Amino acid sequence: MIRIKDLNFTAASGFTLSIGELSVREGEVLAIIGPNGAGKTSLLNVLALFLKADSGRLELFGGDAGAAGALALRRAMSFVFSRPYLVNDTVYNNIRLPLKLRGIRDTGQIAGMLELFKITELKDRGARELSQGERHRVALARAFVTGPKLVLLDEPFSSLDARARDSITRDLRGIIKSANTTVVLVTQDHSEALVLSDSMAVMKDGRILQRGAPREIFARPVSKEVADFVGVETILAGEIAGKSGSLCSIKVGDTLLEAVSEYNEGDSVLVCVRPEAVTVSKTGESGSMRNHFKARVVSIEPWRLEYKIGLDCGFDLLSFVTAQSVEGLGLKVNDELFASFKAAAVHLIKRQGPK
Amino acid sequence: MGFITEGFQKGFHLIFSGDAEIYSIAKLSLYVSLFATGISVLIGVPLGSLIALKKFPFKSIVITLVNTGMGLPPVVVGLFVMLFLSRSGPLSFLGWLYTPAGMILAQVIIATPVVAGLSLSAMQTLDPKFRMQILSLGANELQATLVCLGEIRLSILAAVIAGFGSIISEVGAVMIVGGNMRGQTRVLTTATVMETHMGNFDAAIALGLILLSLTFLVNLALTFIQQRKAERK
Repeated sequence: MIRIKDLNFTAASGFTLSIGELSVREGEVLAIIGPNGAGKTSLLNVLALFLKADSGRLELFGGDAGAAGALALRRAMSFVFSRPYLVNDTVYNNIRLPLKLRGIRDTGQIAGMLELFKITELKDRGARELSQGERHRVALARAFVTGPKLVLLDEPFSSLDARARDSITRDLRGIIKSANTTVVLVTQDHSEALVLSDSMAVMKDGRILQRGAPREIFARPVSKEVADFVGVETILAGEIAGKSGSLCSIKVGDTLLEAVSEYNEGDSVLVCVRPEAVTVSKTGESGSMRNHFKARVVSIEPWRLEYKIGLDCGFDLLSFVTAQSVEGLGLKVNDELFASFKAAAVHLIKRQGPK
Repeated sequence: MGFITEGFQKGFHLIFSGDAEIYSIAKLSLYVSLFATGISVLIGVPLGSLIALKKFPFKSIVITLVNTGMGLPPVVVGLFVMLFLSRSGPLSFLGWLYTPAGMILAQVIIATPVVAGLSLSAMQTLDPKFRMQILSLGANELQATLVCLGEIRLSILAAVIAGFGSIISEVGAVMIVGGNMRGQTRVLTTATVMETHMGNFDAAIALGLILLSLTFLVNLALTFIQQRKAERK
């Protein structure tokens, strides 16, 4: 569906988008995540043919995008911006607009779209009378009404509250899968990316740093930049001090950690531990967890519905603990307790250059 | 003070007595200005939109020229149009000097920059991403521009009102190009000036009142359309 090879684009600001290779197969939902200014929207604009690459090859729908006319290609896709740009007309006429622009008189599919996106009762309402969530639903219905082969979504729900976002995301997931539509979604919202996507790419400074299955990227980031972005908060510098089978002992400061890894003794690594993988207890029982440390609580911060607990185990470690556990354990700063995590929960990134 | 009151009385009498000459003058005024406004809209709206939407070298200089054009002195426009249409001018072959066509040409030159300038600034207020959104929905360039114009239709109507206003009450250009010839090129403004100079204040007041009424009625119609659209927003 999409193939990019050695594509380069330099904006007037000097920002450079440089994509070595990227392909998206038919029916795949690719989420592109990354910090602000990573080049995610520029990439979408290249795909939508609003930006012309300085060099490289872009194939859309199996053909060279440069050789085909922009209008014909655009008519096979849809683009939904972060702000739903509706025309000042009724909901029905907004959804009808792409059909009208293509000279299609048959408007039979509009009723289906209204129903799919749960906006049938709004069809005669003016676009400016709608709530933000309703406007987003109309923009999505308008994007899907022509049965596009490819849909580009640029942070489509960023201005919505969590409830509306969850509701639209759930509905959209079903619609995308039933229509087998290829989707490229740009988002900063990790949970949105996890719910909607089949694969994920992490971008920074105009480059794709990692591409893979969403859970793989979250669990096994290939670099510190990716780890930082996907929410790995404990990243420690260490060295593999010993190895037995796939089980490694890593020296971090004066402490030894255990991890499952293919790296070798003497390798310099970054040790990544996700806060969700760390459990805390007041007793010294570790169960099956190979990493078990005495720890002192250095900070307790609310984090969504949980608490983020900062621990000093001889190295800094973070753990997510439920509110019930914080209350149950009666946790306070400077409390002494035990932190545990599995060897399999530790991800190692090999460090290049001098140790 | 008495002569003013008397002037108004006679003026109203002239209007309501159905004076044929006064009505033919009013009719020509309306014809020339509405025709010129129509042409100005046909040129000015696409021109303003094009300047707003396209990227090209020296764009800011072109915008400055359009903005300068919004304040063109009618007398100067009249002078140049008269010179171009005169027997030795480059447009003499048109034979438009001292004709309503020549007056329309002069008024088009006055109103077009007003319509273009206001259309341009209205189009620039539209988020560029709106146009991108329309293009991404499968619009070609013309379709996208038309949808964008639909979005700023209230501002475009305001540009039409301003364009009409800039010429209906203009006297310098039509006086020079039309020559204020009785039964041929005499319009409300030129006739008012002439009657004033001749001391016929009653006729001048009558013509002035008709001019004011026509301007009011045309603007009322345009404003009515504009506000109906605003209510639908």
